[in-house]
Amino acid sequence: MNPESLLQRPLPAYTQKCTIGCPILDRFLEGGIPCNSITEIVAESSCGKTQISLQLLLSAQLPTSLGGLSASSLYLHSESPFPFRRLHQLSLSNPTPKDPLDNILIHPLHSADHLLDLLSRLDSVIVNPPPQTRFPIKLIVIDSIAALFRSEFDNNPKDLKRRSSLFFKISSKLKAQARRFGLAVVVTNQVTDIVDSSDGVRVGNSRCLYSSGRRVAAALGLSWANCVNTRLFLSRNEENVGEDDGDFVRTRTRRFISVVFAPHLPNSSCEFIVAKEGVFGVDRYNAIHCQNRELS
Amino acid sequence: MEVRSLPISASQSAKLISAGYTSLSSLSSVLPSHLAQELGISENEAIGILKVASQRGGVEITNQTHPTIVNGAQTAWDMLHEEESCGHITTSCADLDDILGGGISCKEVTEIGGVPGIGKTQFGIQLAVNVQIPSKYGGLEGKAVYIDTEGSFMVERVSQIAEACVKDMQEYDSFLRKDLPADQVKLQPYDFLANIFYFRICSYTEQIAVINYLEKFISEHKDVKVVIVDSITFHFRQDFEDMALRTRLLGGMALKLMKLAKKFSLAVILLNQVTSKYSGGSFQLTLALGDSWSHACTNRIILYWNGNERYAYIDKSPSIRSASAPYAVTGRGIRNSASKCKRVKMM
Repeated sequence: MNPESLLQRPLPAYTQKCTIGCPILDRFLEGGIPCNSITEIVAESSCGKTQISLQLLLSAQLPTSLGGLSASSLYLHSESPFPFRRLHQLSLSNPTPKDPLDNILIHPLHSADHLLDLLSRLDSVIVNPPPQTRFPIKLIVIDSIAALFRSEFDNNPKDLKRRSSLFFKISSKLKAQARRFGLAVVVTNQVTDIVDSSDGVRVGNSRCLYSSGRRVAAALGLSWANCVNTRLFLSRNEENVGEDDGDFVRTRTRRFISVVFAPHLPNSSCEFIVAKEGVFGVDRYNAIHCQNRELS
Repeated sequence: MEVRSLPISASQSAKLISAGYTSLSSLSSVLPSHLAQELGISENEAIGILKVASQRGGVEITNQTHPTIVNGAQTAWDMLHEEESCGHITTSCADLDDILGGGISCKEVTEIGGVPGIGKTQFGIQLAVNVQIPSKYGGLEGKAVYIDTEGSFMVERVSQIAEACVKDMQEYDSFLRKDLPADQVKLQPYDFLANIFYFRICSYTEQIAVINYLEKFISEHKDVKVVIVDSITFHFRQDFEDMALRTRLLGGMALKLMKLAKKFSLAVILLNQVTSKYSGGSFQLTLALGDSWSHACTNRIILYWNGNERYAYIDKSPSIRSASAPYAVTGRGIRNSASKCKRVKMM
């Protein structure tokens, strides 16, 4: 290594991005998930973060002319068993190259140290991918980072310090690999409820995040917030849409994706739906939103 | 240093000592004719003695009233003049420029810290663009070195901010120079990108290596007027069992950057993260890297939320008083806070 070689010249005119599989959401994200950095998706359960992740695994395989990376992907999961059926269902309705499931590598995660160990061996997998994958690996999804840290650490200064040191190690490894191989890295994170009335530390565009009518904050605290480049927040809210026979209240779930912080995106949000065919942005909101953007 | 140690004849040094000239500094402001008279020697001989003395101790033979005793030293007066002549880089937020005395000062190391999403990287990018504003628009017409340790530098955002900067200059043209055609600004957004030397750093060893290499790099690229490190912190929060080593490394880096700032009269911007510090039974937010680091930078600006507005607070500066000013991060970059200037609220 010599320092001269770290100078990047000339700078590319744009950052390569990976489509999320829906033009409205892509417009919202100004092209999709950026390569060379870490994008975090924060949400409570059943908001759609795994849905978006799965869809990404498929859309990454699209050729660059369609906004994809023509790439295989690596999916590291620490929560529930991997939802094969859903991925298969999505692959039927998404335009992907032949046998899309061959281009997705899946690996379970047991602990933070296990993740760290995997990351240090990642080079060899990326350089020599398994023979059935037809593309180089350009997308890594970690679903979720929070689950790795939930049980192992106590709430005392020593453990907290060890925990935050691990955050920075993991983030640094991920970023280094992302930079080296031009990877798009997506990390999902859970939320914690805010119970006390104090405002806490405000991170990002809105003073507090609301989902299902509760005040929440991204899990893993301030140190981890320093470790990601872009943070997106998914929220869901039940909305009453008229009463049915007095006994049952018909509700509808509305979901929003919003930018908490990002170096390249303004403070904005977009409604989306989760359907059988996948995750889609809702144009109605987006049209108004675009208008606002033009006005300002 | 003693007169005795000068390579002059024994009789000369005896004469000097008996006349009361025991140290070199006592010879510093003596005129040759005066010395010749006092020691009873020829003026040529006196000049010879003073010459030797000046070579040894940096004493100059001069007829002026205030010779420099230590080579390279400056008087405070000279420094004041120099400081007035060396420029500032505007932050594009007039309120903040006001409390900073015109913008970020060259020749100094300025630390900017705040929570994630407050706009640290936005400041970094804005300054990398603003340093390039041509001198006829009051800029430094320099280039930027951007050391990215976190990967948040997005070329799209640079183009966006550069475009807005070009537009502002065109507006300025059309207001003040109506006689000139509107397309006077020849700078294109892409030129701004080309004038940023971008280093992407993936470990602390790389970070130290690049900062050591900067002196050589900048002496080859003298038009670099700002060095931005985004962030100084990231790689130093991982793996340091030995905190004393960390402190030494960071201290060494700060000294190098300070030297660079002085030597090439450029501004150094260090972005820093915040951390919560446990003191007095509660957690409080402070800038990362600890107490010894807080002495490392000349100026310290803390960015924070106040209600729904972003504020910048001058926490430490030897020459300007503490104050805070609101700012906004808009599509066009850092600007005055919208609530204050009654502009249409931007995104």
